[in-house]
Amino acid sequence: MILSINDLTVSHGEKTIVDRVSLTIDKGEWFALVGQSGSGKTMLSQAIGQLLGPNLRASGSVSYQGSNILEHPKTEMNQLRGKAISYIFQDYHGSFTPFLTIQQHMEEYLQTHGVKEKKKRKNMIKEAFESVGLDVPLVKRYPFQLSGGQLQRASIALALLLEPDILIADEATTALDSVSAHRILSLLQELQQKTGCAILFITHDWRHVARYADKIAVMKDGKIIESGSKQKLIHQPEHAYTKQLIQAAPTLPMRIKEASKS
Amino acid sequence: MSVMAFSPKKIKKAKLWLISALLLVVLAAVAYTFLYLKHAATMTDVGNRLASPSWEHPMGTDHLGRDVMTRLLLGFRLTVGYSMIALLAAVIIGVPFGLLAGLRGGWVDRLFMRIADGFLAFPDTVIAIVLSGLLGPGIGNLLFAIVLVKWVNYARMVRSTVLTEVQKDYITIARINGLSAFTIMRKHLMPHIIGNVLVLASLDFGKIILLISSLSYIGLGAQPPTPEWGAMLNESRPYFQANPEMMIYPGLAIVVVVLVANILGDYLRDKFDVKKEVQP
Repeated sequence: MILSINDLTVSHGEKTIVDRVSLTIDKGEWFALVGQSGSGKTMLSQAIGQLLGPNLRASGSVSYQGSNILEHPKTEMNQLRGKAISYIFQDYHGSFTPFLTIQQHMEEYLQTHGVKEKKKRKNMIKEAFESVGLDVPLVKRYPFQLSGGQLQRASIALALLLEPDILIADEATTALDSVSAHRILSLLQELQQKTGCAILFITHDWRHVARYADKIAVMKDGKIIESGSKQKLIHQPEHAYTKQLIQAAPTLPMRIKEASKS
Repeated sequence: MSVMAFSPKKIKKAKLWLISALLLVVLAAVAYTFLYLKHAATMTDVGNRLASPSWEHPMGTDHLGRDVMTRLLLGFRLTVGYSMIALLAAVIIGVPFGLLAGLRGGWVDRLFMRIADGFLAFPDTVIAIVLSGLLGPGIGNLLFAIVLVKWVNYARMVRSTVLTEVQKDYITIARINGLSAFTIMRKHLMPHIIGNVLVLASLDFGKIILLISSLSYIGLGAQPPTPEWGAMLNESRPYFQANPEMMIYPGLAIVVVVLVANILGDYLRDKFDVKKEVQP
């Protein structure tokens, strides 16, 4: 068990956005959190990293390595971020500061986390870039000079630079076309197997879940209504909403699938 | 060659040349006053009052026999210098307040913005006149009044820039990756702000020169015998009909400097306009 969330509640004034959510993520696991827009998925993910806005309040506990990180002071949290928990977002263009090159971003993060030697930093950046399948010279480009798929790869490279224990991917493939999205997903899977980091994958798209996830939790109106292994949820969904989600996912009819195989 | 032959590109180039040339003239004039002055600005020579241009006095002398050219050149230094001081003070006060309001939010933000709204509710000139009227005439009080009026614009602009940028994911990612708030501000926010501030400041520069000169003209700013252009205009008013050039020189000087400042501001605005880059 790498991260365990107990009775996490996020509220905005009187309104409860995330309602007593509990879930555990094991080491090296692909944990999918599924739900439609407004179900509180993003709030849940931001509460984990203490990234909530000033008007939002989180209670409950998020244990990482035996301590509740919701109660960590700022300085301790800063050290944890990036090294233990890392994020990738839907908006890959907004994920980079427009006037800094990809390399400058990476250099900055490595320096903040105490990688002092320049040569080592350079090697780490090169490795990270190669591991996501990007040409190393692209590292000197500015964000607007890269395509959407390349940028999302770069943001994965950035997120995995410090080899975090858990990567939170918040709708990471939503803004990409389906081919690029599948490439990113299989890349994530490959990197997950290589580095052993757990992935909390937040999505509204059932198709991504069915293929890559180990465990699934379904979220609706701030509550987790059903969770369990992928097999169980896909083949024997108990909750009506889960069934609805599965049915709503567009799938290819069997005949076309078979035809495309041959 | 028809008028149509001037393409936007050519006009832009011509604009750039014009700015550079005029800026050079201004700088040369300012430098000259530091290096060599034939006459003292306040040295009166009543026997030689209202003289016509001569080698000794290229622009003639005024009603007290002072050399007009010397006063005009020193006025350059004073007027441009005063506006610079006012502008710099406004930026130095406005930018941190804007940053603070944008980043902290909550009651800090509300308090500052209500104060700013209060200032913005009146035209600049009215507030400046009231303040310098209350504090008494004098260039120090006038500058204080101008700074008080102008810092609001910078605070508001910086705040709005901060608010739009802070929402973006790259700031979140910088936070996630453990960067301190100060580093994020310095490295990820400041470059956005500096461009905007520079454009606003250069557009304000001309306005401040005008404000100082016009308030000095009505007697609220620089007092005689200070060779400030507005004050010079005021002093030469009684001699307007017999010696119009006494008013024309400082008037023209104001026009030229304000024009340069405005063209420079326009140029910088075009240069930093992010929206234009997106368009093909």
